Amino acid sequence: MTAAPLPPKPQEPLLTPSLTGRRIVALWFPHWAAETSRADYDATQPFALIDMHKNAQRLVGLNEAAGIAGLYPAMTLPDARALVPDVQTAMADPQDAAARLQKCAYWLQRYTPWIGEDTMPQTADGLNDYGLLLDISGCAHLFGGERALLEDIATRLAAYRDDRAVTMRAAIAGSIGAAWGLARFAATDLSIVPEGQDAEAVLPLPPAALRLNPQHIDLCQRLGLDTIAELARFPRADLTRRFGPEPVLRLEQALGQAGESLNPYLPPPQFLARKNLPQGVTQIEALTALIGELCEMLVAQLQAEGQGAQRLDVALTRSDNLVLALAVPLAHPSADAAHMLRLFEERLTRLSGGFDAGFGIEGLQLVASKTTAMTMPQENIGLSNRLGGRLRKSTPIAALGGLYDRLVSRLGAHVVVRPVPHASYIPERAVRFVSVLQAQDTASDELVNPLVDAAARPLFMLCAPEPIEVIAEIPEGAPCRFRWRRVLHEVTTAYGPERISPEWWGGLMGESHTGAQNHNRKTRDYYRVEDMQGHRFWLYRDGLYERETGNPRWFMHGVFP
Amino acid sequence: MQRAFNKSRQAKSMTRQHKLNRLHKLVAKHEPMVQRGASIRTGFAEIDAYFDTQVSGGGIPCGGLHEVAAESTADMPAVLGFAHRLAARFMAQGADDDVLLYGQTHAACRDGGQPYGPALAAHGLSPPTLVYLDGVTLPDLLWAGEQALSCASVACSLLTSSESVPDFTHSRRLSLAARAAERPLLLALGKTAASAATTRWRVAALPQNGWQVTLEKLRLTYDTPPPSVGWSLYPAATQIAEKPNVMPLMRRAV
Repeated sequence: MTAAPLPPKPQEPLLTPSLTGRRIVALWFPHWAAETSRADYDATQPFALIDMHKNAQRLVGLNEAAGIAGLYPAMTLPDARALVPDVQTAMADPQDAAARLQKCAYWLQRYTPWIGEDTMPQTADGLNDYGLLLDISGCAHLFGGERALLEDIATRLAAYRDDRAVTMRAAIAGSIGAAWGLARFAATDLSIVPEGQDAEAVLPLPPAALRLNPQHIDLCQRLGLDTIAELARFPRADLTRRFGPEPVLRLEQALGQAGESLNPYLPPPQFLARKNLPQGVTQIEALTALIGELCEMLVAQLQAEGQGAQRLDVALTRSDNLVLALAVPLAHPSADAAHMLRLFEERLTRLSGGFDAGFGIEGLQLVASKTTAMTMPQENIGLSNRLGGRLRKSTPIAALGGLYDRLVSRLGAHVVVRPVPHASYIPERAVRFVSVLQAQDTASDELVNPLVDAAARPLFMLCAPEPIEVIAEIPEGAPCRFRWRRVLHEVTTAYGPERISPEWWGGLMGESHTGAQNHNRKTRDYYRVEDMQGHRFWLYRDGLYERETGNPRWFMHGVFP
Repeated sequence: MQRAFNKSRQAKSMTRQHKLNRLHKLVAKHEPMVQRGASIRTGFAEIDAYFDTQVSGGGIPCGGLHEVAAESTADMPAVLGFAHRLAARFMAQGADDDVLLYGQTHAACRDGGQPYGPALAAHGLSPPTLVYLDGVTLPDLLWAGEQALSCASVACSLLTSSESVPDFTHSRRLSLAARAAERPLLLALGKTAASAATTRWRVAALPQNGWQVTLEKLRLTYDTPPPSVGWSLYPAATQIAEKPNVMPLMRRAV
């Protein structure tokens, strides 16, 4: 007696429409490292990048000619030399290649603000794989449709250098998984899947197109599963039991049945103004005017949301696809277009020497990368112009903020500083200079140590104590004469000593900067001296005579008015 | 004949005087008077007495460019001490949270050091109100001074340059900006050049914690005669408090 065959299990519908209305571009650069390498080589001949990998010198990046000549990634160098004796080689620089990819990602922002990093950064051989993902939902029509957009990217990348192009394969699909697989395994270089047809496009591809790890690909081959369609025919529960959860997830993602988020290189900016120019602009004056227009566009967005910008970033795209970036921090949130423009003017005039617009700037983008809520000043309502004008006069804080912004944008944030107290007995550490952009709220009067007579401290302290030659009557006494900056000073009056011991707890507290200055470890005897001409100095003997050092050195530390 | 000649000469000089007067009036109309704004007293009785006699209303006018120059480069600390003294008085004119913009050129910063917070209180300044420019070029320094004059929350700016000095054009520009803003701009300089400053002081250090201060220039209107009056000052701020642990160790006859 044989059991009646079980009725076939009701299967999940194989084809469901994509969950999202998204359109994803996957770009794959099969020869990225070699083609963008700084090395000079003949692009028509085999070229390979070499690196230590798995205990041998292997080829980690190839150009197209090398692939045609029969070289393959992860091949050892001797094998490659045996096959192609005159292969051109250079040392690989993966960090540089990654940096160039990131630059490319920034450049691709001309097409969409949402650029994602590739989900599979390495190939099965453990080598770096270079690809990017773009979410172009709602962007393609700006470039004349999806195919036109892809072709535009391809043409521009082809002009990467005069002597070599960047090979690119690309696909547009409704899901990240489908686009990724099609970019690498589709028959054509550029493939576009119509909306809702991801599954049909993906099913004929090999299982490797599912972003599986090497063991799973291997297993698929052993089971004789040559296409995704054969894999997808199995019930999902069985697949999970055999492979683990990952392939099923990848399958569903590729078919558009499971969601997947795109991890952006940069968070998409909330406040952004952008201009693409029909012709390159090289003159700073014209650029300034354009930035002024962008500022007004941005301020309109900011005001609608009640936000003020705290940091502005301008990206200027040159016609040779280089992106020049300018960042301007603001001391106080601002939604004032004239003020923003003035900051950029400062920066651009400073740049004019080193500014290189190349063959012209083609695109400008202004982003408020950091914003905070701010209360908008009330416009004058029903008041006479004179009174209204007086009411709208900016508040002191805003006025100061504007001044700080201008100073910082021209002089640099590390130059415009405020003194901030620090709890230390060592005179040079009792105060620190902090940038005005950070020190807004830290102002306090702790600076005046009640134990220290302010008149006993020099009005000016040298940036670092300067060694001086001193003659003293007795080694532990006050100086009689000293030579500082090659001038001999005859001491007439000396006050002191004021003894300042090193902070014995400094080492215990693990303050790293304490150990850096070794002479801080000795006791200092400070003297306030006056020379014959009436100039007044603050100097110290470093170390107690005979107790800490046999031959104490002297240092000049400050001047009194 | 002689009388006719004298008469014609008199007429000529009359017309010349008349012309001069007219020109004076014309220039005075274009040249802003400085006394209209607030003024400060230095706290040194001799200087204040002098200004009482020279300036209607007394005191040093706030709106204007004030130069404090060193007798020699070694006197820069004394120059800055006196400039701080003036700055503290100017600061007292402003609101509580107004700031003092204190800028130094690279050279001044390297040679003279940075202002030291804990000592500022002895000179009548409050450290939290200080905004310091830590080493810039002279054009940047003057630019910062002009920016500060356009900001109402900066009660006073003090710019220090020990090696290079602004030329007359820059000095004139700053002077006009300071008069228009009715706020002071102090320049502490290691040497002097032609300038359009309202006052110019020359300061040297004196033994026994003193300053030799000379008022070289007082240019309240375009035709004020140049004074040259000097004082030896021993300000209390530079005197050390007599405490048992900080006694003079020795005082040698020299």
